[in-house]
Amino acid sequence: MVDLAIQLPPHSPEFGGLLGQRIAIGSSFEAHILIAGLVSGASQLGPITEWVGYMRRRPEYDRLAHGIARFLVYYFSIGAAIAILVITALLTGLWGSVWAIINRVGFWPFFIEAWTFFLMVVGSYLWYYTWDLLRDYKGLHMAFGGLLAVASFVQVMMIDVIASYMLTPSQPNNPLRVFLNPTEYPLQIHRTVANLAYMGFAVAAFAGFRYLRSKDAAKRAFFDWAGSYGMIWGIGMTLMQPIVGYSYAKEIQLHAYGAWYKMMQGTLSSEFLGQIFLLGLMFLAGSYYFWRRLHASNAPNQGLLGLLTVLLAVTTVFATLPAHLAFTYNQVLASGKDRPFWEGGWVNPFAAMIPYKVGALIAYSVFAIAGLYWYLRGQREVVWGTARAVEQWVLIASVFMVAAMIVLMGFIRENSRYPDVIAGQVQLSHQQVLSQQLISPVTGLSGTLPPPP
Amino acid sequence: MSENRRRLTDPVTSDSQVRVRSLRGLSRIAYAWLDERTGIRSMVRKGLYEAVPRRGAWAYTLGSATLLLIVNQLITGIFLTMIYVPSTTEGWESLNWIRGHDEFASIVRGMHLWGAYVLLFVLGLHMVRTFFSGSYKRPRETNWLSGVVLFVLVLGLSITGAMLPWDQAAYWTAVVVTNIPSYTPIIGIYLRTLWRGGEFAGPITLLRTYGIHIWILPALLFAFIGIHLYLLRKHAEFGSYVNYRGFFRTLHPRPVIPPAEQPALSEPVPPGQRELEPPYPGVPTDDEWAAPLETDDFYPDQTFKDAVVSLICIAIVFAFGIGIGAPLEAAATQNTTTYTPVPEWFYLPLDQLLVLAPKQLISLALWVPLFGLLLLVILPFVDRGRERNPFERPAVMIVGGLIVLFMLVLTALGSGRLFNL
Repeated sequence: MVDLAIQLPPHSPEFGGLLGQRIAIGSSFEAHILIAGLVSGASQLGPITEWVGYMRRRPEYDRLAHGIARFLVYYFSIGAAIAILVITALLTGLWGSVWAIINRVGFWPFFIEAWTFFLMVVGSYLWYYTWDLLRDYKGLHMAFGGLLAVASFVQVMMIDVIASYMLTPSQPNNPLRVFLNPTEYPLQIHRTVANLAYMGFAVAAFAGFRYLRSKDAAKRAFFDWAGSYGMIWGIGMTLMQPIVGYSYAKEIQLHAYGAWYKMMQGTLSSEFLGQIFLLGLMFLAGSYYFWRRLHASNAPNQGLLGLLTVLLAVTTVFATLPAHLAFTYNQVLASGKDRPFWEGGWVNPFAAMIPYKVGALIAYSVFAIAGLYWYLRGQREVVWGTARAVEQWVLIASVFMVAAMIVLMGFIRENSRYPDVIAGQVQLSHQQVLSQQLISPVTGLSGTLPPPP
Repeated sequence: MSENRRRLTDPVTSDSQVRVRSLRGLSRIAYAWLDERTGIRSMVRKGLYEAVPRRGAWAYTLGSATLLLIVNQLITGIFLTMIYVPSTTEGWESLNWIRGHDEFASIVRGMHLWGAYVLLFVLGLHMVRTFFSGSYKRPRETNWLSGVVLFVLVLGLSITGAMLPWDQAAYWTAVVVTNIPSYTPIIGIYLRTLWRGGEFAGPITLLRTYGIHIWILPALLFAFIGIHLYLLRKHAEFGSYVNYRGFFRTLHPRPVIPPAEQPALSEPVPPGQRELEPPYPGVPTDDEWAAPLETDDFYPDQTFKDAVVSLICIAIVFAFGIGIGAPLEAAATQNTTTYTPVPEWFYLPLDQLLVLAPKQLISLALWVPLFGLLLLVILPFVDRGRERNPFERPAVMIVGGLIVLFMLVLTALGSGRLFNL
């Protein structure tokens, strides 16, 4: 090998030190996930919507699915552009050593991920641009949509392998173990459900916005219906999250106790309480929308939905009660106030995770599924295009709540293992603590990575 | 001249033909004799020559496949009773012995185990298909209820069967399952004692479970199969919603957008309705969903499809029974600290629920399957609308779909334990 005489920059970019780098990378990733989640949700919700419309022979589903396809074509490239920014400029430039390790461990997931990108590009463009061309060959057209949905599912799965491995790592030299690390499939289910819900809320919000701006009766009828359709998807998928999220948290507790403790009782516990509050708020928004939408058309089951809305409001307040009056439970212990509040302590026993918060999470799901059922039963009497502004504002607000929840969840999850990048194996300070030597999947050569400059 | 008469009066040309015709004549005489005394001819006619819906016929072959798989369980089960000893000391030994010494019994045991797995899977699909097509609606509510009872009985047979080998897996299954009734309010402890025959799972538990598995549950199972088949014949196969006039009405729904704004979609023209024929309609009901527009004969059209699907199921059972067989772990012992019990795959949703439930809420989690069962029972009485098309029954379909999804998610979450991940 010949060393080329090149003039390197005197030092790599600092970006304001570690904190600045973390802020830059974290915020870029948050922006990426906000768009990528929508793209992934649209890749699955769009084909499903087209199929349901085909089975029901209703043109409004086709129109909505076409709109989702258009959105997908526009936003796919934006999401990908941010991903490229994050990977090429920020991760490689600022945390090159760590990024190289992650690449070595996750070579195969990244390799498959790249090909799913290719499939998604092919699938989304074929699906969108053949819409009118294949109007008489709907089966073939829906097959393109199916390809897109599967590619998107696999793509999320591959990136989940990496994300879950970073929190609950297994044997880095065994690709199968990397794939099947303890939190991979809980995270996969959690994110798939979340992406569908997110896209549902996004459809609802967009429809609400367009409804408010539309003067034409036909457009108002369509956007009123589309808002309701999006909300049904949003709430329908979100009501799975208490059990799915709880399962995910349980696996984290079993396999990354430190991270779990930080989230539940440590420095991130107040943010986690914020998550429970946002979740309740979303169910509350859904129930309120269902209630008011039936009310606007004087459809049946309004009273039941009104009652559920009140119950959900009470549950949300109850679920959000803090378990102690200090920032962390360790502070409670340190101050010697580990007593119930009526004995002068800082502890609120009625906000304990078990059984009260778990009970509240169950109540969220039960009330939400009951609300969905009664709304769907009453929906037959709804006259589309007669909704009032307040329902549309609820639809618009709901997507911001979901976005806030996604951002907060990303913040909690990534910070729960700090200062580790791969929990227990690699730290941000570039100290490689892997006990085993890595084997490159490409060259088969083994060896430790060079120290950072 | 009728065909039969022509055959009887044709000149014969060889001895073999004479023998064949004599045999045919004899069998015909025997059949006539039997018919005069039992009415078998009309029974066969009633059983075989019946109209069934034409479209989507492959989807409703699952009932017959379920029945054949149950018969497979019966036959292989009878063989196993000839070799298995229901004892904590000899039960495991008897099964361990056949592993090395009796290849036929090993295959039979493998077929019994895999038959149970395939049966549960096919039965589940059968229920989902029935739910999807709204076949439980008037007048078929009792068909559905008897089917729910059959489902519970098959689950009961599966779990009691899992306890019988008395290896480590069976023992811990017995410990966990016989403890479940103890969470029943007030009488829970007595129920557990009744099943276990004492405070702990042991010899009497095994003997009682064996009795339940080979006598009580099969007796109930076959009684309810009889009821289920009788009701099926009484009300006839509903099949799929696409066979009915009501389906074509739903293709012209109340439009969300005014018709002038809608893009043109090709709309199918409803075919002419076939004249009603027995057994349609069994009882007076909504005429849109009373009789299928087009029908086939149960024999030979539907029986051919039923036979194909049933044979595929049996072939799968046979292949897995020989290829993989039935595992047998080490003999049961309480004195182990390393053994991790793993549930049967069909109990993974419940098991995962118990894993997730905090200690204080376990009794609550155990009510979840009972609540699910209650939902199955009340389904035909809640969903009473005339609509059968699943895409026009969003309230029931979406909520039902979410419950199925919930179970699948629990299964997926718990599946890691099956493979010791």
